[in-house]
Amino acid sequence: MNMHTFIDFIMGEMVIVSFVIFIAGTCGRLLWTFIHINKTENFIFSYLSFKYSLRSILAWLTPFLPVSSRKKPFFYSISYTFHILLFIVPIFLLSHITLFEEYLNWSWISINDTSADILTIIVILCTLFFVTRRVVVKEVKYITRTSDFVFIIIASLPFITGFLAYHQLFAYKIIMIAHVISGEIMLILIPFTRFFHMFIAPIIRAYTGSEFGNVRGAKDW
Amino acid sequence: MQETSTKDSETDTKVIDEGVEKGLKGLTPEKIELVINQVLKNETGARLKLYIDTCMRCSLCADACSFFLSNDRAPEFSPAGKVKQTLHEMIRLKGKVSKDTLRNIVRIAHTECNVCKRCSMYCPFGIDIAYMILLVRRICHKLEITPLYIQDTVNSHAATMNQMWVKEDEWIDTLQWQEEDAREEFENLRIPLDKDGADIMYSVIAPEPKFQAGLIYQSAVIHHAADINWTMPSFPGWDNSNMAMFTGDYEISGRIAKAHYEAATKLHVKKIVMGECGHAFRSVFDVGNRWMGWAMPPVDVIHAIEFYHYLLTSGRIKIKDKFKETVTLHDPCNISRGRGLHDKARELVDMLCESFIEMTPNKEHNYCCGAGGGAINCGPPWKINRMVNNREKADQIKRTGAKVLIAPCHNCHSGLEDILHYYDQDMEVKFFGDLIFNAMDKTIYKGGE
Amino acid sequence: MKRYLLIIIIIFGISSIVLSNQQSVIDRSVFKNPQRSSALFNHDDHNEKAELEDCAICHHVYEDKKLVEGESSEDDSCSSCHTLKRTEKNIISIRTAFHKRCKRCHFKVSKGPVLCGECHIK
Ligand code: HEM
Ligand code: SF4
Ligand code: SF4
Repeated sequence: MNMHTFIDFIMGEMVIVSFVIFIAGTCGRLLWTFIHINKTENFIFSYLSFKYSLRSILAWLTPFLPVSSRKKPFFYSISYTFHILLFIVPIFLLSHITLFEEYLNWSWISINDTSADILTIIVILCTLFFVTRRVVVKEVKYITRTSDFVFIIIASLPFITGFLAYHQLFAYKIIMIAHVISGEIMLILIPFTRFFHMFIAPIIRAYTGSEFGNVRGAKDW
Repeated sequence: MQETSTKDSETDTKVIDEGVEKGLKGLTPEKIELVINQVLKNETGARLKLYIDTCMRCSLCADACSFFLSNDRAPEFSPAGKVKQTLHEMIRLKGKVSKDTLRNIVRIAHTECNVCKRCSMYCPFGIDIAYMILLVRRICHKLEITPLYIQDTVNSHAATMNQMWVKEDEWIDTLQWQEEDAREEFENLRIPLDKDGADIMYSVIAPEPKFQAGLIYQSAVIHHAADINWTMPSFPGWDNSNMAMFTGDYEISGRIAKAHYEAATKLHVKKIVMGECGHAFRSVFDVGNRWMGWAMPPVDVIHAIEFYHYLLTSGRIKIKDKFKETVTLHDPCNISRGRGLHDKARELVDMLCESFIEMTPNKEHNYCCGAGGGAINCGPPWKINRMVNNREKADQIKRTGAKVLIAPCHNCHSGLEDILHYYDQDMEVKFFGDLIFNAMDKTIYKGGE
Repeated sequence: MKRYLLIIIIIFGISSIVLSNQQSVIDRSVFKNPQRSSALFNHDDHNEKAELEDCAICHHVYEDKKLVEGESSEDDSCSSCHTLKRTEKNIISIRTAFHKRCKRCHFKVSKGPVLCGECHIK
């Protein structure tokens, strides 16, 4: 396979394959989760309350409403920033939109390249913070496993390679290819690793929120 | 912390508990593996899997735990750290856990976590660590390595349907004795036993007839003065406490809750009013009904705080002299985080006391008294550890500077008295019942007035 | 593989210096707020190397969204049809037109730049 066909593949078919695996995997695992709940602990459904689920989820989405976040404002600021940028930067990046338009003739509003560059640096710094914390803070270190570092690295690779590629530092072509592939790997891994926490978070929150709110008449934040 | 420097400041991990040792002796590696895997496979489901798969190991839950804070932030005491040492270990080793590890696991699950659920409010996902610790206790129960003293209370439950080996005639005698005493103050006062169709069944925990019969006297006076149509069962089911819930002996726990509800239905009462106890409330209101297959309690279950609140706001009880000294309030986990009664409790304090000072953190965010979740019931071998693990609560109370501490829960009461004594704090612990009894106008309520 | 890449990079490096000396870049004045440097392009060198004879391959004419055979448009600027934004009449924006024009061919013949930074040199 020559270089051009390879690049064509990873920027074309492979993107589609990744999205299909991501979406199908996500739907599949969510479906399996609900079937599993239904099979093993279906009482959970009788406790779920729409009102209290929503109350809990919204409370925890509001920055610095939960006492937990007020006790650790520094950590939560970084975590909120990281999680928001994780979506904002790739979705509203001009280069990504440009590619999307080339393939599907569809585009949307973008952020300019300089801002995107700064935001990317912020994301990378956030991941550095997470790694440092795992080494330095003893209660975090105590429960950290190797996979936690691998996990953060996988999440940060698309940003690191993206940053290098944008600035055309080092071997541009290799880095560019690494960028595309690391992004695809992350997308593919979401349904099969703890990245899936993004989809499970509202489910656990809903249950805990319902138990606290509906049964016990208490707040859970 | 000058005062505490003479005290033990480290948890002793070498405590010997006879019950645990005896149980361990009888175990073989095959039995350990079999039991652990049986429970993990047959008694858990989606919830555990989601909790385990989703925990990001961020340790945001650590700061929630008073054990962690009391032990100078030692990571072994953080909620996720405790799960790591117990449940994770069992899962990781696929049940092939050594006896030494099991000894460690029992200590952590039974004496280093109050299953207070405070950490669920600090985990961004809302992961229920207490559930996982209770699951570990369930496994310990099935391995028959539950600490001696708490197992004894469970045995008592199993044999007598009450926690304290109180015999049936002893129970009835005690009630009649309190009734007799009270009749010297109030002629016509009755403690009506087995009164069919009464509005309220009043239930207490077994330590009341055993050691604190005066509390029954007090509530009889309160009921009488408020002209409440009430009753107490003379037969098993009168004790609302439930230690089996905390040892993972769900079968016994279910029997206890069932006896309690059945007493209420046999007597055709409209409501169950429970005395000032937290764990008992959790066992009847939240846990027992589920074991029997009811999403919510089949009979209205009211905690004493709600009941007293009603008596005072409806005018059935009038307060003559408010309590003068400055009081502070301890929110018991199982009725604040467990039932949201903290606001009503504050209104009660307002109606009863002249001067009130908040303890922080409070309401849903209170720290456990350190005795809850069965910790105090693990008995004398663990007492010093309990004191060490409870330093944060002692400091919190000390910061209020109040002279009187209201604790509307039996467990909290005993636990707080222990730490106040241990950390040399001169403070009196009181129930709401004590305050009402002393402050109330002891004339009998006449409807329509 | 590595050596192959290294050679390519060196060639691109050198050629980019050579090319930029000639200032052979795409005229990007149509873009209001361009985010990247002008793409490298030297019309005559490119066509010579690519052995292109037919102007209409790039300078095509479309009417009613159909290609008009045998006609070419080298006297018009690309942006006279491909406006900045997609419209009813022009379904391909100027940005996409440029990108597709170059990359499609390059992929097809397995030659020439296809990655962002290969044309938009920092
Ligand atoms: C959209 C819903 C999401 C929610 C609610 C969520 C929630 C959380 C929470 C509660 C934590 C643990 C504490 C923290 O670090 O803040 C966490 C950590 C993390 N999340 Fe997410 N997340 C979401 C999406 C994502 C996505 C899409 C990714 C990346 C693909 C991601 C990557 C990470 C990483 C790398 C950490 C680890 C931080 C560390 O190791 O300390 N998250 N997330
Ligand atoms: S349930 Fe309470 S005692 Fe147990 S780990 Fe959580 S905060 Fe600590
Ligand atoms: S806060 Fe929640 S996600 Fe974080 S370590 Fe504790 S239990 Fe796990």
